[in-house]
Amino acid sequence: MALLEIKNLHATVDDKPILNGLDLTIGGGEVHAIMGPNGSGKSTLSYVLSGRDGYEVTGGEVLFDGKNLLEMEADERAREGVFLAFQYPVEIPGVTSITFLRTAVNAVRQHHGESPFDAMDFVKYIREKAAGLNVSDDMLKRAVNTGFSGGEKKRMEILQMAALDPKLAILDETDSGLDIDALKVVAEGVNAMRSDERGLLVITHYQRLLDYIVPDHVHVLAKGRIVKSGGKELAHELEESGYAEFLEDAA
Amino acid sequence: MPDGSGHMQPYLDQALEGASNLVGSGVDWIDALRRAGADAYGTHGLPKRRDEYWRYTNLNALADEEFRLANGAPAIGLPSLPHKLVAELATYRVVVVNGRLRPDLCALDGLPDDVLVSGLEDLMAAAPARLEPYLGKIIRLDEMPMAALNTAFLRDGMAMFVGDRVVLDKPVHLISITAPGDRPLMVQPRHLVVLGKNASATLIETHITAEGGSSFNNIVAELHMDDGAKLNHFVFQEEAETSVHLSGTAVAMGADTTYDSFVLQSGGAIGRSEIHAYLNGTGGDCRLDGVYLASDKQVVDNTTFVEHAAPGCRSRQVYKGVLDGQSRGVFQGKVHVLRDAQQTDGHQLSRALLLSPRAEIDARPELEIYADDVKCSHGATAGELDDDSLFYLLSRGIPREDARRMLIEAFLSEAIAEIPLEQVAEDFTTHVRQWLANNVGSARGQD
Repeated sequence: MALLEIKNLHATVDDKPILNGLDLTIGGGEVHAIMGPNGSGKSTLSYVLSGRDGYEVTGGEVLFDGKNLLEMEADERAREGVFLAFQYPVEIPGVTSITFLRTAVNAVRQHHGESPFDAMDFVKYIREKAAGLNVSDDMLKRAVNTGFSGGEKKRMEILQMAALDPKLAILDETDSGLDIDALKVVAEGVNAMRSDERGLLVITHYQRLLDYIVPDHVHVLAKGRIVKSGGKELAHELEESGYAEFLEDAA
Repeated sequence: MPDGSGHMQPYLDQALEGASNLVGSGVDWIDALRRAGADAYGTHGLPKRRDEYWRYTNLNALADEEFRLANGAPAIGLPSLPHKLVAELATYRVVVVNGRLRPDLCALDGLPDDVLVSGLEDLMAAAPARLEPYLGKIIRLDEMPMAALNTAFLRDGMAMFVGDRVVLDKPVHLISITAPGDRPLMVQPRHLVVLGKNASATLIETHITAEGGSSFNNIVAELHMDDGAKLNHFVFQEEAETSVHLSGTAVAMGADTTYDSFVLQSGGAIGRSEIHAYLNGTGGDCRLDGVYLASDKQVVDNTTFVEHAAPGCRSRQVYKGVLDGQSRGVFQGKVHVLRDAQQTDGHQLSRALLLSPRAEIDARPELEIYADDVKCSHGATAGELDDDSLFYLLSRGIPREDARRMLIEAFLSEAIAEIPLEQVAEDFTTHVRQWLANNVGSARGQD
């Protein structure tokens, strides 16, 4: 059984069709990249999969571990193991990062019948995960993403991913706003999480990120559908040729 | 009772009936003060919606139901207080039940020299001359009709004097208990605080209601701060939902004084905190902050008037509230900068979170400036929880109701974090959490 099966998915935002019959299957341990021009539906796909309000599914189905993902609320999907790394992580003044992380991790643990971490145990748990990502104790004490640099925000996203240990991680334009050094740190964090069970869906406009997080499969998304699939070499072809041919083909 | 001009003056009769039998009666200035209160209230009448500062808070309940003045303090013991850390804090404790001092419940041992904490009535009997320079001197009766009514009933409450240069070693905790019987009860407590030059004190007030019927609590506090004095003032207003709680505070600030006030209101059918701060000397620093929580049909009103009369003073106001059900919040804040008050730095901000489509906030920040070299700003925001923030928390697996509570608490915690006394800040936070646990439940997801 595949980890994620998307079949003929249609979705609208404000009654405007954005996804128009998207098919995609991701198996455990696979890394898939979705590339596409602006407006092709990349971010919509990430929000539809993570259950954001305002993204209406008008057709098709999505099975996650064999379960109907679309019937679940956003928080339940997350507890079941879907993780979205945001393109623009949200600043939440007044909530410290450590409290936020502990609340999230404990919600997931309890969902799986595990006992929640107390404050002391959680500090140990999160420090271990944070070390490799260059996330300092100071960052953990600050309010969530508040006043963080672009690099700090993305490192915090990957730390959340590591802490929540999802089955499927969707990375939405994770490279945006990062210089090359920050990108390397983030990519190493992601690569450290590759495993035989976990699926990764990397959404990106540029091929650059895929030099560091090397995908098994690359798909081109245009006008709300997958119009071409291939191996990692497809990303390089796109870098050369651009997206123009797909825009015309899909029209 | 109508006087022909369309004014309603309920309770004036009760004040006039009792006045001749009160302590202080026969002392000219006290007689004159009570009379001035009765006159001002009689002229103005019960505030109506036509009154500029009562537009959003309707006192018809006080005309519809007749509240009777409490007849002494019932012999109740000290109830357990709703805030644990402050209750355990070492303080000088003053307990007022139904507007009357209860000496047996007070704990005033070890007060430093040159500090007096007493019942107002006791002091009025023993040494009225000590009160004369202060009592009734800063309340503007024509601008505060309910304070005028309180003045007509002037009798008892707390009097506190802190001498020059005395730094009070422990906070004074004033516990005000309204203990209604089975008929509608009225109390009119009056408090006076006088800080000498460079004196420093912390005053914590707790307002609670004992079990019983409806009550009307009309409180006035006058705070006199001589040059260089510093007062931290924290108020917990947690009266019962059967209570009308009106509080009027006036603070006269000398040169280089610091007044730091934080009011938490979550009680009362109607809860109003009205603070008038008069910055009379250069270099004064006035901070008025508050948090309010309301549900059902509660009305919570924060009204402030900050008068910059001297140059080089600073005032800051931040009021934040959360409104659920059909509750209403009111923020009326006026910063009044007189012609001589150059280099005034005045800011005010009102922010409200509306958790229900039927909740309402009326916010009216106001600046009136006659000096030309000032830095002033004001603002008001009102809205629902931020969708992006909520989705971010949901996407991490945090259940929706927990996520909503976290965001609301975060919104308020920014204000509470400014409280300089840790136990007060923690108790306020605990109170907010309990309120959220009771009010933000799984049946209410509407965002």
